[in-house]
This record gives sequence, C-alpha cells and structure tokens, in this order.
Amino acid sequence: MKQLAPRKKRTKAEKREAIWALCFIAPTIIGLIALNFYPAIDTVWQSFCKTGDFGKGNVFIGFANYAKVFTAGETWHSLWNTIKYALIEVPFGVVIALILAVFLNKKLKGTSVFRTIFFLPMVCAPAAVAMVWKWLYNQQFGLLNNVFGTNVAWISDPKIAWISIGIIGVWSVIGYNMVLFISGLQEIPGDYYEAAEIDGATGIRQFFHITVPLLSPTTFFIVQTRIIGALTIFDLMFMVMDKTNLALENTQSIVYLFYTYAFTNGDKGYGATIVVFLVIFIMIVTFIMQRAEKKLVYHP
Amino acid sequence: MKKLAALLLAAMMCTTALTACGGSGGSGSSSSGSGSSESSGSGAKAGSITVNIWDANQQKGIQEIADKWTETSGVKVNVEVVDWDNYWTLLEAGASGGTMPDVFWMHSNTAQMYMENDVLLKLNDYIEKDSKIDMSKYYEGVKNLYTRSDGNVYALPKDHDTIALLYNKAIFDKYKVDYPTDKWTWTDMYEAAKKITEGSKGDVYGMAMNTSNNQDGWYNLIYSYGGQVITEDHKGTTIGGAESKAGMEMMRQLLTVGAPQSVVAETGTDSLFMSGKVGMITQGSWMINSFYTAENHADYAWALLPYADRNGNGTCEKDERWSAYNGLGWAASAAVKDPESCYSLISYFCSEEGQKLQAEKGVTMGGMTGVSDAFANAFEGMDIKPFLDAENFSLYFRPYTRKTTVWEDALQQAGAFLDPWQKPDDAELMSKACDNAQKIIEDAIKAE
Repeated sequence: MKQLAPRKKRTKAEKREAIWALCFIAPTIIGLIALNFYPAIDTVWQSFCKTGDFGKGNVFIGFANYAKVFTAGETWHSLWNTIKYALIEVPFGVVIALILAVFLNKKLKGTSVFRTIFFLPMVCAPAAVAMVWKWLYNQQFGLLNNVFGTNVAWISDPKIAWISIGIIGVWSVIGYNMVLFISGLQEIPGDYYEAAEIDGATGIRQFFHITVPLLSPTTFFIVQTRIIGALTIFDLMFMVMDKTNLALENTQSIVYLFYTYAFTNGDKGYGATIVVFLVIFIMIVTFIMQRAEKKLVYHP
Repeated sequence: MKKLAALLLAAMMCTTALTACGGSGGSGSSSSGSGSSESSGSGAKAGSITVNIWDANQQKGIQEIADKWTETSGVKVNVEVVDWDNYWTLLEAGASGGTMPDVFWMHSNTAQMYMENDVLLKLNDYIEKDSKIDMSKYYEGVKNLYTRSDGNVYALPKDHDTIALLYNKAIFDKYKVDYPTDKWTWTDMYEAAKKITEGSKGDVYGMAMNTSNNQDGWYNLIYSYGGQVITEDHKGTTIGGAESKAGMEMMRQLLTVGAPQSVVAETGTDSLFMSGKVGMITQGSWMINSFYTAENHADYAWALLPYADRNGNGTCEKDERWSAYNGLGWAASAAVKDPESCYSLISYFCSEEGQKLQAEKGVTMGGMTGVSDAFANAFEGMDIKPFLDAENFSLYFRPYTRKTTVWEDALQQAGAFLDPWQKPDDAELMSKACDNAQKIIEDAIKAE
C-alpha cells in the first residue's frame, strides 16, 4: 500500500497564489460551465423529455425518444450520409495536405505565398465558402458547367451530390491539415534524410520510410480530430442544399437532421436525442481509434 | 487512458456545443432588445423601441411610418431586419430566455404557439380604451388568427397579401403567345406554357413552380378545384380527396411543360424568372417590390390567377378562382418595460392613418379593409391591380395549424410532393403523393 504523504501546510504566499490563480481562470471556468457543461447536461436531460414550447412544461417520458430515434430509418440514413462525407473528407483532406506540406516544407522561393493561399479557405467564413461553391455548382449558371461545357446537376443529382459536398469539405480543410503537417515535418531531424541520401535512397523512398513513419503521431492526431469534425458537419449541407432538393435525403448529415427537428419543427426533445445518439457514436469511434493507436503510430 | 477521457470529453463538447448555439443566439437578440429596457422600473417611459421584422423590402417604409409616430410620442424607433430563418430562431430563443425585441411581426406559422404561452403582450385592455382601433374593420382571417380562443387579442392585423400571376411580356412576344387574361383557366396557362417551352426547345420554360411555392403556388390550384389543405376548423384536411387530386393533377400537367425540379431547387423560381429563363410564375404581393426594382421590370406584368372551370359553363364563378391571403400581425413582448409606448406604436401602425400610409408608400396592402386602393398606384409604370381584383373572387386564409412548419416542410420533401415534382409524367405518383400528404397532415395535427 502506498503511504500517504503527510499533508504539507501551505504558506501564506502559496495560499495567496492559489487564490489569484483561481481568480484568473474563473472567467474561463464560468464560461465553460455556463456555455458548455450546463447545455451538455441539459441536452441529455431534454432527450428524456417531451419538451414544451419555449423551454416550459417538459414532461419526462423515459426512453420513448430513443426508441423513436433508433427505429427511424432517417436516423440511420443520415448517419450513413455523414459517414460517407467523412470517407471523402478525411482521407483526401489528409493525403492532399500531406503532399502539399512536403513540397511547401522545402526551402524554395515563394513557399510562404503558397502556404497563405492554401490556408485561406480556413480563414473564410464557412457560410461564405458554401455560398460560393453553391453558385460554382449551379446547373444553369454555374462556372463549372460553363467552363467544361457540361450539364451536370452537381448538387441535385442524388448519385453525385454527396461527392460534390465532400469536395467542398476537402477544399476547406486542406489548409488547416497542411499547417499541422508542416509543423510536424519541421520536428523531424534533418540527419535522417542526409544519412538516407548518402545511402542512395530516392526522394520517394525517403518519403515512405522516413517522413511517413516519423510523421505518424501528427497524422494520427489530424485523422482523429477530422473524423470528429466530419461527423458533426452541418453548415455545408445547410447552406448548399435547398430544402426542396431531391438529393437532400442522400446528403443530409445527422446534425442537419437534428437541426430540422430541434429548430424547424420545434421538437427540442427529439433533437436532443439525436445529438446524444451522435455523441455515443463518436465515443465508440474514438474508443476504437485509441485502441488502434499503438498499432498505427510509429514510436521510435 | 487519460488521453482517451480527454478526447471523449472534447467530442462531447463539440457536439453539445451545437445545442448551445440556440442559447447563444438568444443572447444576440437580447442585446438588440435591451436598447429599450435600459430605463429600468416598470411604467418608465422607454427612450427607444426596437422593432424586428424579416422583410428588407419593407424596412424603409416601416421606418418612415414609425418616425411619424416618433414626432408625437418622442420615443425613437429602430427597425431592424433579421432574415426569415434567423428571425424565428432568435425570437424563440428570446421567448425562452426572456429578452425579445419590443415590437415585432407575428405570422400564421407560429402565432398559435406564441399566443398560448403568454409570451406576447395582451392587447385587449388597450384596444378597449383606444378610439382609433375598431376590430370590425380588419380582414376576418387575419383578425381571427391573432385572437386566442378565449377572446384575448395578441396582435393587431398589419397587412394582407394576395397572389397573382407574373409573366414576362418579352418571352410571350418572342414565342408569339397571347398574354394572360382574366378569362384564363389553368388549362389555358398550360397551353401557353407548353407553347413557350416547346417553341424555345427547352431553352426557356413556360412556367416554374417549386414544391416550396405553396401559398403562392399549388395551394391555389387545390382550392380552385374545391379542395382544402386545412379545413376551416384547423383540425383536418381534404388534400387526399377527389377535388384536391383534380387540382394537383392540373398541377402535374403544368409541371410537364415547366422547369424541372432539379432546376428550381438550385436556382429558385424568382431568379429564373428574372434572368429570363421562365415565362410565368405565380407570386405573392409581398414580392412586388423585388420585381418592380428588377433590371427588366418593363417586361414584367401581372394578371389574375387562372381559375378552374368546374361547372364547365365557360365563365368564372366566384368560387372557381381562389387566392390565398395571409396577414402579419404587430405584436409586442409580454415582458416589455414600457407597454404603453409599444401599444401606442402598434396602434399607430394599424390605425387608418398608419394603414393608409403603408399602402401609399407601397409597403404592403392593409390589414384593414378599404385602405389599399392607394397601393395600386404606388408602383408607377407597373399595373398591380390583379392583386386587388383577386378580392372580387374567393379568398382563403393561408392554411395553418398549431405547428404549421412540421407538415408544411414535410409536404415539400421526398415522401410527399417532391416525388411527383421530380417525375411529372407519372399521374399515379401525384395521386399517391396526395394520399401521403393527407396522412402527413393528419399525423402532424394529431401530434400537436
């Protein structure tokens, strides 16, 4: 058994320090409690209620909402849509960003210009990005169809709309991933590359045998955060797809479904249940990812 | 393990922060509403009143009328525009969190819910004492909408709107089609649309209508063929009945010669019309200004909505031509600090003077009967009389129930009318959609 260390008495100065420390972090703590923890707990509570208008008159109904969410086809359809989106955004967003990062990490002229250009989408408001893409994709007047002389319904054809949406997602996220990769690349000591060069390794061999393994902790971090980000996607579908778009059914994400129920139809309880369902799903995914970390990430 | 816990927590906060959006949206509205509540203590006269509306077209006119009121009351009025979707999110958050704008518009979609929960200022006592307001002078449907079943009044009728047919003369000339007349049936509209679509080989569409064009679109067909989207007691529907099906069958035929659904879902019927891609659309009077100020407005003209010659005698009976009408209401928050001033402003907007100003300035037609003639002259060079003439035939109040948006949204999407809209050649599909719609509305009313 571990022996308990005798409790050290704090000096006056230490006490004062502790009080000041509390004062300094108080705004953040209060903000977190009021804006994150309280709504989180309230959301879970609401998911067990038939909610009244304007937050009044909530009636506890146990698992009735959950039974409805789990048996509704649209829940699973939306979840599948969300996963499909993640399957485009995460792999392509990571691979393209990695390739760009490797090139932009070289000491060449104008790298900072290119880094800025690739990072710009991250700085733009997502709503603005979505609006611009909406018009690029427009079947009648869109730039894409005009330039290529095609007549493709990029965002109204249920078969391809999800890919079109995914492309916007990839485009928006590349810059952010790239910056993370560049910082990861700069941590890899140059000696490895020098040694490899002396041994006669080509650039591609160097990439796969030095860069990729040594970068794997960064890659893993990006993949994990992007999966969570992609599973909570909402703004793209909301801004790009009209409510009367036939492809909406095949692209609406689970958060979009939540928005429809909670805010358009005013059924907060059912909306809350959808969100809790999503949280549980993300927890499961995260758990699996964490288990896989040891196998996937290279620890020298 | 610690790392895992941290990640799980982060994931949870990411998702639950979504619900927090609603809350923080509320604080946004409260900051705009607090301008008036600065002067604390009930009964204190407010320094200014915040008015929220959703239609940017009307902002200028409403502000001018409000400024007139300021001249006598000395209380400043700020008219702020919040777009339709955000308007309701903000208002609901404000109603839940306690700080709403002082004076704002009410709409048939949500009025019931707001009135039942006592978040609006009760106006009965003020109206009784007010010699300028005579409740019998307002449009029946609008007045009833804002009167609760126990007789309490929560908003005064601001305006009413009707629907008309908008057409592009240049397109009609180009394909040598006669302009719409007040003798047109829906079949005549079909023939004209067909000529345009076929004459242009699909480059220009004769007409366009989206599933979301309900009040200003397909609802009117249902009524002119004798159906009802929501019955008069607001407890049922006949959308699956034979009359409604006849109306929607006509709608289906129109769609076969109109713009395809994938096109209207991406670009919107208004934009298609304004860019010269569509010959005819149906539109509500609240949109006049958009077309009046558009680039090619000289080509645009309005006509009465077509009718359905149900008895086959070749003339339009009163109950064969139907236009939806709807009316907004001026309401105030129940928690407002200076109810006297807020009511006084509402009273001015809805008094004969305010209503006439509103029509003269071309903001909208009045909520009071007999004040809208000036509206017809407000748009020089554009004849908008069809909107007023529609009142010589039958009007029905925009269908609403307690939670209108639930079924209204569902009707626009797959599983209801989006399917036949997508495949207008399939008559069976439209009939099936009517049956589905019947069930959707009945289920929604049951769940209310």
